[in-house]
Amino acid sequence: MRITVALFAHLSTFQPDGHGGRGARTFDVAADTTVGDVIGMLALPDEPRVLFINGRHADDSTVLAEGDRLAIFPPIAGG
Amino acid sequence: MKRDLLRVNMSDLSISREPLPEGWRRYGGRALTDAIVFSEVPPDADPLGPDNVLVFSPGLLGGTSAPNGGRLSVGAKSPLTGGIKESNSGGQAAHALARNGIAGVIVSGKAADPSARYCLVIEADGAAKLERVDEWTGLGNYDLADKIAATRPEGDRYATIQTGPAGEAGSKAAGIAVSDPKGYPNRFAGRGGLGSVMGSKGLKAIVISDKGLQYTEHADKEAFQSAMKRFAAALKEHAVTGQALPTYGTNVLTNILSEAGGLPTRNFSHGTFEMADDIGGERQRETILARGGHEHHACHTGCTIQCSRYWMDKDGHYKVKGPEYETAWSFGADCGIGNLDEIAELDRACGDLGLDTIEMGATMAVYMESGAIEFGDATGALAALMSGATGGEPGRVLWDGAGATGKAFGVTRIPTVKNQAMPAYDPRSVMGMGVTYATSPMGGDHTAGYTVTANILNVGGSVDPLKPEGQAELSKNLQIATGMLDSVGFCIFVAFAVLDIPDAFTAIHEMVEAHTGDKWDPDALMELGKETLTFERLFNEKAGFTAADDRLPAFMMTEKLPPHDVVFEVSDEELDSVFDFVPETAQKMGIS
Repeated sequence: MRITVALFAHLSTFQPDGHGGRGARTFDVAADTTVGDVIGMLALPDEPRVLFINGRHADDSTVLAEGDRLAIFPPIAGG
Repeated sequence: MKRDLLRVNMSDLSISREPLPEGWRRYGGRALTDAIVFSEVPPDADPLGPDNVLVFSPGLLGGTSAPNGGRLSVGAKSPLTGGIKESNSGGQAAHALARNGIAGVIVSGKAADPSARYCLVIEADGAAKLERVDEWTGLGNYDLADKIAATRPEGDRYATIQTGPAGEAGSKAAGIAVSDPKGYPNRFAGRGGLGSVMGSKGLKAIVISDKGLQYTEHADKEAFQSAMKRFAAALKEHAVTGQALPTYGTNVLTNILSEAGGLPTRNFSHGTFEMADDIGGERQRETILARGGHEHHACHTGCTIQCSRYWMDKDGHYKVKGPEYETAWSFGADCGIGNLDEIAELDRACGDLGLDTIEMGATMAVYMESGAIEFGDATGALAALMSGATGGEPGRVLWDGAGATGKAFGVTRIPTVKNQAMPAYDPRSVMGMGVTYATSPMGGDHTAGYTVTANILNVGGSVDPLKPEGQAELSKNLQIATGMLDSVGFCIFVAFAVLDIPDAFTAIHEMVEAHTGDKWDPDALMELGKETLTFERLFNEKAGFTAADDRLPAFMMTEKLPPHDVVFEVSDEELDSVFDFVPETAQKMGIS
């Protein structure tokens, strides 16, 4: 199935298509792929993350569905 | 360690200095400004009249080497909200005051001649005087900083506190500028119109020299140093304070808030901005680096987080600091503007005029909703903003903030609480912030109880931002903790580390004890936070505020915010429970 992946801050170097920069990329994955699976496939660094699927908080165990937008942020904050 | 009050009476131009009263010994920063405003300002005073006071106070750790301990609290009755206000700023002034042994500068009265302008000069040898500076009338903050520099001796070290033309004009959105380590007047005690309290008294500037003055003395130097090292280590260790903030600055929030559907766009009509990435912290950083600008620096000496940065224009010249997330939001997403150079121009204009960028961006969005100019029209926005400088239209209305502007231009969707514009988190999709906006004695304020930590960032736990559960408790605890941090003098960004690393909070109480020589266990620190809020709630009550003022604008309970199509759902009962500790705390304090 096809999902969209958006990576932010320093994670933008881990884009699935190998090209750096932000901006969502499409990503083809098997059905029942979890967020954790995608993180493994992208070889993201081992650090806390903030995960959203279609704008709602998710975690590693969440199963993805066709057309989902997965956004991944490293630890960030501001004010 | 000396802690004096410097009293400056603008009515008779007298200055006196007295030791901090024993009863206020445990107060600094926000707690002290609150105590003074509570005790000395009649709750029904005209905020721009002679009975209001303007108080400047470093925190309990001001003047020390405590990392991030040099914030300045500015307190008064607010012309914008009509309630008590503490407005908090970075910059060098807090350390300069503390090193001079000054716990608080209290400016009272009002210059007899409304055209008179004064500059309060505090020298490092203890001398303090009021200089007549009528020729500085109407100067923008940047010119004013240059004029002040020309009066100082070669090799001096000093900080400035300034009000711009907006403060002189009585604008309810006027802020107070504080100088950064390079002397730029670009840090702000922005919220609540305190720049006009300063202007109304005829005080154009304060200069504080701390040349040759050392860190303030500790009661137990070794214990202090040991706790300080652990605190600094915690700040470095935490990914947010140690990496994200120094690298990207506060504006790193734009993309994540937009993703979460919490970035108020086009006057709070949508939670996602299609141009978020063009104005976010990552784009800002790339551009700054490409233009030869500086990526991370401290807004005050001793800050280890160093989240600040300078934005250069296309020719590589300094334009403005930041822009911070709140400004990139207010003049960006909220106004439908997707260009950082345009935002920087508006940011600079506000800084020079002495206007709060949060209030002015939110105001501009309300003005855009009226149809007078289009969303996205940065040129029209700048012209409208500048028109206030000559007292003309629409500036003279815009300069009084979002509430005044909405009323004047027939806009009903006015995003204010207690007449202060809400900042960069929509209360419907970041529901904890809705509780803070509604209940904080400060009005629509984000720093007062920053639930974004758990609502969005997974810092200090996780509370679903789209549901009402848990929000009141989260906001209450953060409001108390923030009251404490603001009184100790810490930048609230230390909270990111404190919420996740228990030893960081332990180190705080140890630093406060070791520096002051007084007992300060963790419970006492939280009690300090409660006392701060208790002063504020009681003052506001006497000033006429009721539970009806602790509510969000009606449209936020009925108008669904896309993309999640949510409304604010925390009940009135829960909102009214946030300050349930006040009666008990007031009794312990012996105030009513």
